[in-house]
Amino acid sequence: MDLFTSSTLLTLLMLITPIMASSTNLYKNSNYQHYVKNMTLSAFIISLIPMTMFIHTNQEMLISNWHWITIHTFKLTLSFKMDYFSLMFMPVALFITWSIMEFSMWYMHSDPNINQFFKYLLIFLITMLILVTANNLFQLLVGWEGVGIMSFLLIGWWFGRTDANTAALQAILYNRIGDIGFLLSMAWFLSNTNSWDLQQIFVLSQNPSNLPLMGLTLAAAGKSAQFGLHPWLPSAMEGPTPVSALLHSSTMVVAGVFLLIRFSPLMENNKPIQTMMLSLGALTTLFTAICALTQNDIKKIIAFSTSSQLGLMMVTVGLNQPHLAFLHICTHAFFKAMLFLCSGSIIHNLNNEQDIRKMGGLYKILPFTTTALITGCLALTGVPFLTGFYSKDPIIEAATSSYTNAWALLLTLIATSLTAVYSTRIIFYTLLEQPRFSPLMNINETNPALINPIKRLLVGSIFAGFILSNNMPPMTTPLMTMPLHLKLTALMVTTLGFIIALEINTYSKNLKYPHLSNFTNFSTLLGYFPTIMHRLPPHLILTMGQKLATSLLDLTWTEIILPKTMTSIQLKASLLTSNQKGLIKLYFLSFLITMTLVMLLFNYPE
Amino acid sequence: MNPLISITLLMTLILSTMIVMISSHWLFAWIGLEMNMMAIIPIMMKKPSPRATEASTKYFLTQATASTLLMLAVILNLMHSGQWTIMKLFDPTASALMTMALAIKLGLSPFHFWVPEVTQGIPLTTGLILLTWQKIAPISILYQISPSINLHLMITMSFLSILIGGWGGLNQTQLRKIMAYSSIAHMGWMTSILLYNSTLTLLNLLIYIIMTFTMFMLLIQNTTTTTLLLSQTWNTTPVMTTFTMLTLLSMGGLPPLTGFMPKWMIIQELTKNDTLILPTLMAVTALLNLYFYMRLAYSTALTLFPSTNNMKMKWQFHPTKQMTLLPTAIVLSTMLLPLTPTYYILL
Repeated sequence: MDLFTSSTLLTLLMLITPIMASSTNLYKNSNYQHYVKNMTLSAFIISLIPMTMFIHTNQEMLISNWHWITIHTFKLTLSFKMDYFSLMFMPVALFITWSIMEFSMWYMHSDPNINQFFKYLLIFLITMLILVTANNLFQLLVGWEGVGIMSFLLIGWWFGRTDANTAALQAILYNRIGDIGFLLSMAWFLSNTNSWDLQQIFVLSQNPSNLPLMGLTLAAAGKSAQFGLHPWLPSAMEGPTPVSALLHSSTMVVAGVFLLIRFSPLMENNKPIQTMMLSLGALTTLFTAICALTQNDIKKIIAFSTSSQLGLMMVTVGLNQPHLAFLHICTHAFFKAMLFLCSGSIIHNLNNEQDIRKMGGLYKILPFTTTALITGCLALTGVPFLTGFYSKDPIIEAATSSYTNAWALLLTLIATSLTAVYSTRIIFYTLLEQPRFSPLMNINETNPALINPIKRLLVGSIFAGFILSNNMPPMTTPLMTMPLHLKLTALMVTTLGFIIALEINTYSKNLKYPHLSNFTNFSTLLGYFPTIMHRLPPHLILTMGQKLATSLLDLTWTEIILPKTMTSIQLKASLLTSNQKGLIKLYFLSFLITMTLVMLLFNYPE
Repeated sequence: MNPLISITLLMTLILSTMIVMISSHWLFAWIGLEMNMMAIIPIMMKKPSPRATEASTKYFLTQATASTLLMLAVILNLMHSGQWTIMKLFDPTASALMTMALAIKLGLSPFHFWVPEVTQGIPLTTGLILLTWQKIAPISILYQISPSINLHLMITMSFLSILIGGWGGLNQTQLRKIMAYSSIAHMGWMTSILLYNSTLTLLNLLIYIIMTFTMFMLLIQNTTTTTLLLSQTWNTTPVMTTFTMLTLLSMGGLPPLTGFMPKWMIIQELTKNDTLILPTLMAVTALLNLYFYMRLAYSTALTLFPSTNNMKMKWQFHPTKQMTLLPTAIVLSTMLLPLTPTYYILL
């Protein structure tokens, strides 16, 4: 084994050690957190080795370890695929996890189960890496389900609160609906290509039918909170802020888009599927951006922002640009995690206040957090030469200059400007103006466990885009020339969004609307989607089930069909046959005429 | 009625059926049938009442029509074959006409409308004669012309008779009408096997006569004409309730009683001829018959209906009527099944 292989496997194995250490005494004292954090740091540094080697030599690798099972001609092994996507994603994920673990040493400091929290975060990280490096669909499913389960456990961390339990269950249910699509495509691939290995699938089914691709799209929609399966993501903000930062902004929710990126060779030539993904992504991005405009919980605004960016990633996959989507995954992870950490800092400092209507004036009080928040928002909106610019701008350029659905493009542009609007809203309400919180707050940001992670991610938010896009080997032909107005589209809509938002926010100091308008209601109630969909379909399906069991089965099939019908038929027939009127002359006459006619017709047929 | 007259009428009745059975000339057979009809009309009018008058008028009209049609068929046969011998008919029209004439005589559907009304209007003994003895003559003619009968016509009429016999009897409480519908159904069973194996027709006729005779004898014993009266037999002769039930079940065709024998044989012959739907449907609709027999058995034997205290004393007195052949008939109509192989006598 050479350095490539050994460093990859070492990265993965190192992360398992603290899990095994949890059965020892180390688990009981407070050094466990440092242990886990340092292990993650070491794993990050070691994972830089394969990444650098890949950038240098452009050699992909496939590690196939353990032959697990063979059923007839189907062979299942434990295999890791280290290619462009997984090698680039691993350091990014490990870096962010390291920062978040250090942050949660400050955030969850007073929690008695803090060691268990770290263990859960680590298990989540391991399953995420399994997902990313999987070479066959079974291993991917292991990782997929693993991140789902850890999401459940971590969202329901404060399980004494019913809202948290409901949110965790909601996450599981929506993910399960996506899993139906995943299993469907697994079954299709197994029966049509006799393998779950990615290499064999790509060779044997160059143009698969729409069924497995729809299944994969459904799986991505479930995991990445696309429209229709999106309500779980804002509800998942019931979990602690580190959980939101790790799972629901950077790593878990991108698993769906990652799956589509993995299978992008199958979707290159399938225009209908691409159009479907494009439309779904465009709808998601605009809808969640609209919902983010009127939320009052800071974490929910950032959650909807995540959802909007996921829609944008789906749009990119729908434009047949998987590498741009992957770049956006990596860059988005940096500034979104940082936004969540800043919001965690604000929340803890304001004594667990999450409503932005009761924050304000933190500009001078929390200078470092303010800096990070503003930089993060600017990176999110795609201000030139920050991180977001290097991925978002090429996406918009690719969208405007490709032969694509104009409606989807329009929606995406509107959503881009709305991104600027809600970012301005966050900044305005939390940082600017006069303070709206109680004066007796104990606010400080001197703890290095808080500052260092945000510092690192801040550096990442500013420079990571530049570094990543210059070091990633180009896989597709970049578009070099386009008209000036197309080039400036993203910038112009963003600027427009900023200006409008600033205007309206300053209005809110002087004007007050007497009653809520319908549009505000639509946006605040998340488009009425949870209200309708969480009540009506279950009610209909359960009543249908009850009616099927009792009315149809019990009553109709076993009682009415045979016994009662028979009874009524016999009654009617008996009444018919035994009630006669004695019209003798009529009977005889009809008999005579019939006989005469019959004899004549049959004997003289002409 | 003057005993001399009644003896003459009975003798004529017997003689007429004999004439029909032994004749080999069509005209003679027709004479026998006419004598039959003429003889029984006064017997029906033994107790004059508007009901009896109506019954005998209806009977006369239908039977006269039937005889006329029979004559027409005979003439047509003469025209096509040039001879008067009683054998199979040589013209399909003549065959159809004669089949229909005999169907009217027997009371097969769709010419069954006279049977319940006539049976209801006459006393029980005359009803017995009507439903048993009067069937012998037409069946004997049918037996002799069976090779030329149109299959579709026959099967249609017989299946329809079974259905009508079943459904019609469901709505009745008068026992004579019930027996009339039962006779229609049994005629249906008899004629269904006529074209496949005519011996079984005769077997069925024989068993049917025995069972109907038993039933009527039991009814005549207490002059019960309605279900309500039948339910009081436990007061007069408790042992007859058991026999009534057994006879009714035998008429319904339940093994191991005698009534099962003809049904079993008929179904076997029909299935041997590759007609499977017909015997299935016939067997299923025989259940309708069984249902109203069971209803009678329920109110007679299985439950003791309430009655006044005076009624409960009647068993203490000896019966005044003569039980003609009743024990013999009961034994014959319930225990004849093991003697099935002896039906080869009829061949």
